[in-house]
Order: sequence, then structure tokens, then C-alpha cells
Amino acid sequence: MTIELSRRGFCIGTALIGLQTISSSAFAARSEDGTVRLGLVAPTSGPNARYGAFSLRGAQMAAKEINDAGGVGGRKINVMPGDSQGTPVEGVSATRRLIDQDQVDFIIGDVSSSVTLAMQPVVEDAGVLLLNAASSNPMITYKAGVGGFKWTFRNYPTDENRSLLVLQYAAEKKGFTKYSVLSVDTDYGRAAIQFTKKYLLRFKSEILTEDYYKEGEVDFRSVLSKIRDSGAQAIIMYGNADSAPIVGRQMMEVGIAGKIPLIGNAEFNTASTIKAAPKAMEGAIEAAAWLPGYDSPKSKAFVDKFTAAYREAPNNHAYVHWETVHLLAKAIEQAKSIDREKVRAALSGIHYDSAVGEVTFDDHNQARLPMILLEIEGGTPVVKGAYKAEIDYPK
Amino acid sequence: MFYTIIEQVVNGIVSGSVYAIVAVGMTMIFGVLRAINFAHGEYYMLGTFGAWFAIEYFDLPYPVAVVIGVVATAVIAVVVGNFVMQRIVGAPAEAGVLATLGVALILQNTVILAFGGSYKFFSGGYIEPVSVFGFTLAEQRILIIIVGLIVFVGLELMVTYSRMGKAMRAVSQNIECCAVVGIDVRHIALWTFILGAGLAALSGVLTAPVNVSVYGGMGELITFKTLPIIIMGGLGNVRGTFVAAMILGIAESLVATYIGLQFRDTVGFATLMLVLMWRPHGLFSAQARF
Repeated sequence: MTIELSRRGFCIGTALIGLQTISSSAFAARSEDGTVRLGLVAPTSGPNARYGAFSLRGAQMAAKEINDAGGVGGRKINVMPGDSQGTPVEGVSATRRLIDQDQVDFIIGDVSSSVTLAMQPVVEDAGVLLLNAASSNPMITYKAGVGGFKWTFRNYPTDENRSLLVLQYAAEKKGFTKYSVLSVDTDYGRAAIQFTKKYLLRFKSEILTEDYYKEGEVDFRSVLSKIRDSGAQAIIMYGNADSAPIVGRQMMEVGIAGKIPLIGNAEFNTASTIKAAPKAMEGAIEAAAWLPGYDSPKSKAFVDKFTAAYREAPNNHAYVHWETVHLLAKAIEQAKSIDREKVRAALSGIHYDSAVGEVTFDDHNQARLPMILLEIEGGTPVVKGAYKAEIDYPK
Repeated sequence: MFYTIIEQVVNGIVSGSVYAIVAVGMTMIFGVLRAINFAHGEYYMLGTFGAWFAIEYFDLPYPVAVVIGVVATAVIAVVVGNFVMQRIVGAPAEAGVLATLGVALILQNTVILAFGGSYKFFSGGYIEPVSVFGFTLAEQRILIIIVGLIVFVGLELMVTYSRMGKAMRAVSQNIECCAVVGIDVRHIALWTFILGAGLAALSGVLTAPVNVSVYGGMGELITFKTLPIIIMGGLGNVRGTFVAAMILGIAESLVATYIGLQFRDTVGFATLMLVLMWRPHGLFSAQARF
């Protein structure tokens, strides 16, 4: 009996040693590779594919710039894309694939908040650094750093900042107090409204109607007629860029274009959206992490270079991914290694000069970043200023 | 209040017309092939892409683009019809489900491969709003309602009087007897399929100006909107499909206004469940036809 047990023990022991050899040899292979393996999870197909394409181009451009200048600490950056299709299920499997098969050390992703929230536990288990560059749901960093997930960082302002700043601008500069809500039915769209409600009382405002649309929705006529009859002074929309032109066109149809402006965030300021519905976009107020018209030498240089490379002006997602790859490269450089723990420590204490100002991280691994407010006047977006806000984490 | 209800009913009729044109093709294909065409939305997408391509790459006017979109889709339907759909005639039901789902994936991903997965901007059409009885509507929507009516009257006349229409009805009733009396069942199946796909494409091209965005995955939503309609209308029933599409369009519009936009897509499936519980043969069939 004892012999039987020890035999079994021997077998298990041998198997474990075998496994360890395999994993350590895999690790050795990764280190000897001589590159920085950087996974990029983004929606390259599905309704948010536009964002994914911009994200990938921004990241690849940054990697090329770094590699052309000799890499980080002699290592080239190898960007490995994974398609999340904008859904949590696909995002998680893309993340697993990058970690298990491609053996990445760092991941940047995703654009959609719902996907990023689902990726957080996956990278935490694997001990791979996740540096988010484009999700704005506040929960992501409520739960990071001292909040729990040690491996999640975010280099993007949150919806809490955004909701507060938009509401403040609309109330103080425009005198609005009555709003209708038309947001996308995702973690991003719903959270933005949740945080808008948190600050409604401060500006003595109220929400008259509240609707959420599914991604891919094309018929907004019913809800826009309801908004027209509700007496709202503005429509709060936290949506995706692809819906903005459809909403704009149908606003023109039901006769509210130019009367009830859109406020919030859904890339109202892109040229194609303004062209699709110029009358509806007039007076639209948007808070963005960045926009092509932002006036700083580094930002302008990026726009010129991106436009020359891809024959298309960059959007916000292209910029944030470009900047975030550079940020990560600086952290690796300061850590003088691609050891994940060391890079994480370097990132926590980093002072990085971005195109919109200095980036530092708070104890929730959330970057302190300004938001840019703009209003569309006469068919062109006009920057109204950059505002910064420290986040009140729930105790 | 009353004005709002009337306006929402008009909105519902517009979306109902779009659903009707797509669904009637799907229901006719079912009548003849006894297979739910899960790729139906993809022909809607192909039609839209054809027109978008004609406008973007060749700068053609919208009416020409409509023709190109429909003809291009019909050509693809000839290929799919010959290689896939004809073989479904008389095959078990699973064959139809698998074959059409496979075709849907292939068509969708081919388009994504060729044009990229991102949204395209459809710039053709007549989008100026006009005022009719106090409602403002884009001209394009009025066009959609008119074309919808023409299509249905035309189809009614065709299945009642023309030789092809009569043959289609005969095949939908009894395949073996048709073969006995000398009707070429495979030929009829092919033509029904091409007609159905062409109608789906027409619907896609007509709605593109008001829906603005064109992308590879756009057909899926349409397939799933159409499914409840053809079941409610009674599978294979042209007139029933028209009424069911209008009911769904109007119900969706009222739900979006009075309950909330987020509940709109549940209407179709909720109605479908009720119909399946109480009238499993559809709202309009007195009894099972087969």
C-alpha cells in the first residue's frame, strides 16, 4: 500500500518536474527572443472595428518610431494584435491567446469598457501587465491598484471626469437644466449616465427622458420624436462614433437639428460626422481625451506624421494608443529590463511628458489626465479648454 | 398625445415596409425549399455594398447604384443558388440550416476581407426632410413605402396569374406531384431564390441612405428581425408576411417611444413566443398547410 502511494507520488512528482521544465524553457525562449512582446487587444472586426483599426495603426506607428530609433534598451517592440470584436467573450479569448500562445509580457487593450473589465481578472491571474489606453468606465480603476487588481493600469481619463465636466460646461456656459438621455447600452454608455446623475443636483438639472440604444441600432426616429416633445434643452449622448451620423441625420428628419444640441461624447467632431449632418452637429459639446486640433507641438507632429503614413487624419484612439506605447517604452527603459514586476514599479512612479501634459499615476493605477472640451461652431470644432479633475474614490 | 401616436405609427409603417420587402423573399424561399434561409440578411448587406461601391468608386448616381446593387446580388444568388440552394430541395431540414448558415459566414467574411470590417459612409439617396400631413419624413422613407407597396402588389399578381408564380405555389404545396406533372422543381427553386435575394438587396439599397452606415456584419440583425416576421405571417404566406411586418414595425415604434429604446428588439421575439404558443401556424393560416 505504501509502495503504491509512493509510486503515485513519484509519478506526480516526475510530471511536475516535467511541466516546470517546459514552462521554464518557454520563459527562456521568450527572454532570449530579444524583443518586447506587446499584445494589442482591440476590436478589429464588428461594430467597433473603426476604433480597432485606429488603435492598431497608432500602436504600430509608435512601435516603428521606437524600433527605428534603436528600440528600448536594444530590444525591438513587437506588436501582436488580438481581435476582441468589441465583445467581452472574444476579448477574453484573444487575451488568453496572447498570453498562452504568443507569450506576451505586456498587453494594451481594449477600447470597450465591457471588454477591459472582463480582461482584468485574466491578466491578474497570469501576472501580465495590462495598460489600458482607451476605456473610460470608472470601475476599471476603482478595482485596480489599492482597489485590488495589481496588474491593471489605465492611461485614459474616466467617464466620471467626463460626465462632470460636460455637465458643468452645459450648465454654466449654456444655462441648460433639462436633458434627454440617448446613450449606448454598454458599460461605457450606462456608466457615463450613472455618473452624470451623481452630479445633476449640483447643477440643479434634471433628466426628462432616458433611452439606451443597442450597438448597431439604425432607427432613432421614435425616440428622437419623443425627445422633441419632452421639452429637453440638450441630448446627453455617450455613444459610439458610428451612431453619431445616423442620429444626426434623423435629428434633421424629425426637426430638432440646430434646436436641441448633442452633448457628451461620440466623436461629434470628426469631419465625416459633421458632413453627414451639419445642422444637427452645430452646437454639439464634446469632452475628449484628445482631438486632432489640439494645440501642442507634440500633438501636431503626431497628426502630421500619422496623416502622411495612412492618408487619413488620426482619431482619439490612434493618439492614445500611440502615446501609450511610448509611455510603456519609457517605463521599460527606466526599469532597465522587461521583467514585469520592475516595469510595473517603474510605471507607478513615472513622470511622462505626453502631448496633452505630464502623466503620473495615482494609487489606483489611474493616470491623472486632462480632458479637452470643444464645441462645434460653424461646422468646425472649437477647443474651449482643457480641464483636469482628481477622482473621488468611494471609501 | 394623439399626434405623437399617429407619428409613431407612421414611423412604424416605414420600418415595417423595410422588414416586409426583406421578409417576403425569405418566406417565399421557405415555401419552395422548406428551408429557413439564414443567409438572407447577407443579401441585404450585399445589395447595400454593391450600391455603396458604385457610388464611392465610380461616382454613379443613386438610381443607377440601386440597379447595380440588386443585379450584383442577383448574380451572386445565381452562383449560390446553383451550388447550394438547389441541392437543399428534398434534403432533410438540418441540411438547409447548416448550408445557409455556412453561406452567411462566407458572404459576410468575404465582404469584410475585401472592404475591411469598419463602417462605411453611404452618401447617396434622397435625405431631405419633407412635410406630409404635418409629419416630417426624409423623402427616401416615402420612396421606401411606395416601393414596398409596388413590390407586394406585383408579387400578388405574379403568384396569382403568371406561369412561374403558379409553379412556385405548386412547388410549395407538393414537390412530388409537381415532378409528376412536369414542373422542373430545381428550376423553380433557383428562380425563387434569386427573386428572394434580389428583393433583400433592394430593401438594403433603399434603406442605406437613412441608415447611413454600411458594414459587413449588418445582415445579421436583419436576419434575426425577419425570422419572427415570417413565422408570425405563416411560413410561405406572402400576404401574411406583409401584415406581420407592419404589426412588428408599429409595435417596435410604440415600444421605443413609451417603454424605452432598449426594449425595442425584444418586441419581435416576445411576439414570436406568443404566436408560437397560441397560433403555431402563424397569425393568418386557418390550418397547417404541410
